Amino acid sequence: MGQKVMEERKASKRCGGVLPFIIGFLATCVLGWAVLPGLFYVEVEQPFKFSHTIHVEGQGMDCESCHFFRDDGSYAGFPTNEGCAECHAVDPEEAMEAIAEAGIDANDYDAIMKAEIGAIEDNLASESDENKQAEREYIVKYLIQGKEVPWLNYQYQPDNVYFSHKAHEGLDIAELAEMKKELSSVVDSAVFEGEAPEQNCNLCHLKDIDKNDTPPAFQQNILSGYSKMTMKMWKCERCHALKGQPNACYTCHK
Amino acid sequence: MSVARRAFIQMSVGATVGILFTPTVWTALDDVSIWTQNWPWIPSLKYGEVKGVPTVSKMCESGCAVKVRTVAGEAFGTEGNMDNPLSGGGICPLCANGVQVMNSPTRIKAPMLNGKEISWDDANKLVSEKLAAAGSKVAVISGDQTGTVNEVFSGLLASQGSDAFYSMPSDMQAADKAWTGLMGGSGQIGYDMENADVVLLAGADALESWGPTVANMKAFANNENGKFIFAGPMQTRTASVTSKWVPVPAEGMAAFTLGITYYVLQAGKSVPAADFDQFKAMVISGYTPAKVEAATGVKADAMAEIAKQLLAADNPVVVPGGSVAANGAAFALNLLLGGAMKVLPEFGKAVETAMTRSEMLKQDILKGVSADVLMVYEANPFYALPEQVKGAFTVAFDSVETETTAAADLVLPTPHAYERADDLATPYGVASATYSLGVPVSKPTLNVMNAADFVLGLADLGFENFDEVLEAKVTAVGADMDELAEGAAYVLEESADVSGVTLAASVLGKAAVPVKGTGAVALAPYTLLNVGTANQATTPNAPCTISNNQLIGDNMVVMMASATAKKLGVGVGSKVKLSGGNGDCEALVQVFEGVLPGVVAAPLGMGHTVGDEFSKGKGDNVYKILTVSSEAAAGASTWAGSTVNVAKI
Repeated sequence: MGQKVMEERKASKRCGGVLPFIIGFLATCVLGWAVLPGLFYVEVEQPFKFSHTIHVEGQGMDCESCHFFRDDGSYAGFPTNEGCAECHAVDPEEAMEAIAEAGIDANDYDAIMKAEIGAIEDNLASESDENKQAEREYIVKYLIQGKEVPWLNYQYQPDNVYFSHKAHEGLDIAELAEMKKELSSVVDSAVFEGEAPEQNCNLCHLKDIDKNDTPPAFQQNILSGYSKMTMKMWKCERCHALKGQPNACYTCHK
Repeated sequence: MSVARRAFIQMSVGATVGILFTPTVWTALDDVSIWTQNWPWIPSLKYGEVKGVPTVSKMCESGCAVKVRTVAGEAFGTEGNMDNPLSGGGICPLCANGVQVMNSPTRIKAPMLNGKEISWDDANKLVSEKLAAAGSKVAVISGDQTGTVNEVFSGLLASQGSDAFYSMPSDMQAADKAWTGLMGGSGQIGYDMENADVVLLAGADALESWGPTVANMKAFANNENGKFIFAGPMQTRTASVTSKWVPVPAEGMAAFTLGITYYVLQAGKSVPAADFDQFKAMVISGYTPAKVEAATGVKADAMAEIAKQLLAADNPVVVPGGSVAANGAAFALNLLLGGAMKVLPEFGKAVETAMTRSEMLKQDILKGVSADVLMVYEANPFYALPEQVKGAFTVAFDSVETETTAAADLVLPTPHAYERADDLATPYGVASATYSLGVPVSKPTLNVMNAADFVLGLADLGFENFDEVLEAKVTAVGADMDELAEGAAYVLEESADVSGVTLAASVLGKAAVPVKGTGAVALAPYTLLNVGTANQATTPNAPCTISNNQLIGDNMVVMMASATAKKLGVGVGSKVKLSGGNGDCEALVQVFEGVLPGVVAAPLGMGHTVGDEFSKGKGDNVYKILTVSSEAAAGASTWAGSTVNVAKI
């Protein structure tokens, strides 16, 4: 009897001991580092393809044409239909009348786009078919409907965070590059590579978005709903601390 | 235990430990913690450009020049308009809640005929038929004192052959009846309180509800060296900040003013009025300080002291409130003093066939209104004057539900002030003729129509819509449309002609005699804008500013001096019934020595039976216990001199 127990214990040591533990440990380590983080996010596309390249390189616009500070110091962020309509000069009333005359339901976007309504088509500024389709989509789904484009904000912050672009306007990338190491967990180090770019927007926003033709998908956390790029509180606090700025609650939570 | 099972457990333990060495668990915990911030039912803020859009608000009687705060085009609040002299950055408690009222669940959502929704076309057809059948038996009651919409209604009446245009009782009406009616003047009386060195507020609680309250407060604040004196039956909030409060019963205000005039005449002051000698004789014989003291209880010395200050001043002004006689007496005194009373010209009309403002103020609503078709525009006579108003077919134009819309046969929803174009011409009391324009700030979300547009669809007045009327008005005024749209006021520094004005000696001599009711105590009704007015109930954020001296729980509070309370056998917190006029009110008693003995002070504007949760069922309606008495000599009616019986319950 006693001998049998001893044999089992030996067998146990032979068959595993630490080995199954190590296998389990390594397996979840690999999963946890390489596989699972990706599963927390789903990719959501922007409402339509907006090409910064066409607007910046093609039309000679600069960042401030759409993303500007208002007189009261608040930041305009995404452009509104009012701003877009300065160039995309489709008269909503005229377009809706033409749609009604063509007997198309104003909410049937596909039918409107296929119908190639003159009041819309004659005012398209794009040249290639792909870009024309993107522009058409904007005009039909948003501009003439009087709806603002529900852009997905890669750096979305909740309502309880007060972020002032004006207060961060003077951040100097060259100066911050000296803290590159300390900031490595907060800011993508690529921002500091090469000659310090003039635009400090890259510190938080998609790098060189002004040269982007097709906006990348918005990566949305399936649990929290936040963007993968949303800056967490500890990152804000880290940078504030490094720059000698206050970290009191009311600094950001008004 | 089998080997496989043991290995499995060991591997699971390893896996569990292993996962803790990855960010997965920790980031998942973090994600879960902030997941709670984005539950779908949590309201989220709207972001966009924050603007202040200038417009006008008509919720208070004189109207406010405001800026509506919007974010991404959506209105969320109201503030004063620095660029407009009516506001100077200030705002009244009613208009401050304009956006909340615009979003109120009591907004009228569509045209309603006896509780059933109908189309605007059917409403037009129905009212057209009723008007055709009624002929000249058509009347209009307007709650708007300053808008050109009144010209449109007046034009409709003219096309029907009627002159039955009524305004709700107001200080502006009493002043007009005295100035243009009794004294033969023209234009509108104004008071330059900012530049006056002595201001006698003879019954005008100018810093809380009388006249253009906001402009008055600005004038008071800017007038650093001026001396303000308040006379009235109660130490109002106005009295609490003036240099002196002189207790004067409301019905004795005209006599009190003539008592002061006695000293001014004795000092040798005169005016080139045709009846000056008659006026002087009337005052010197009938209103000696001793007689006035006997009739009103105001000490002769007090009147002498005020007269002395007025005579010594370079630019004095007497600002009246109350009866036609009290207004007439004050105007006569101002003419003698030659100070800061102004006579403002009326702006030109847009609608040719419309009455002038003075003509619109002639009809006496307190004498009763009866018509086959009664149109009520943003007024609430069925709350404030239920005994006086009768219409065989009543059409109520309003944006929110009121006692009047509940009683009307046809209810036609108007856009809220922030959803429509409107204007505001010279509210009563301002020192100069001013004209302000209101532009729509928000798009209407309900099935509403501007009342003027509806009326223009009934009668051919030469305009397609109200925008055209306003354009014509701006042209008649001589103002610049663009500047007005940006929120600036057009100010005309001209005076109307005062030659030919008399002192109404024969009328004032009789009309100034105090007439009091037969009740046990005199009633001093008072208005606080945060409590509400005859037309506008309190607004959503205002109730928290109503003090325990007006409302405790759902009970109205009346104030009286301790001597009065002792005489009536009541004390602080006693529940009493006040009976007077044709009704009674319930209230709790508060003892306040700032009320003249023998007087009970009660707040107007409560006790609504229709409305939102902030006004319905709160307090009681003091309008029920007011007594309408005839100012026989002045040919007018007044609530001054109302008395009540008080019973403990």
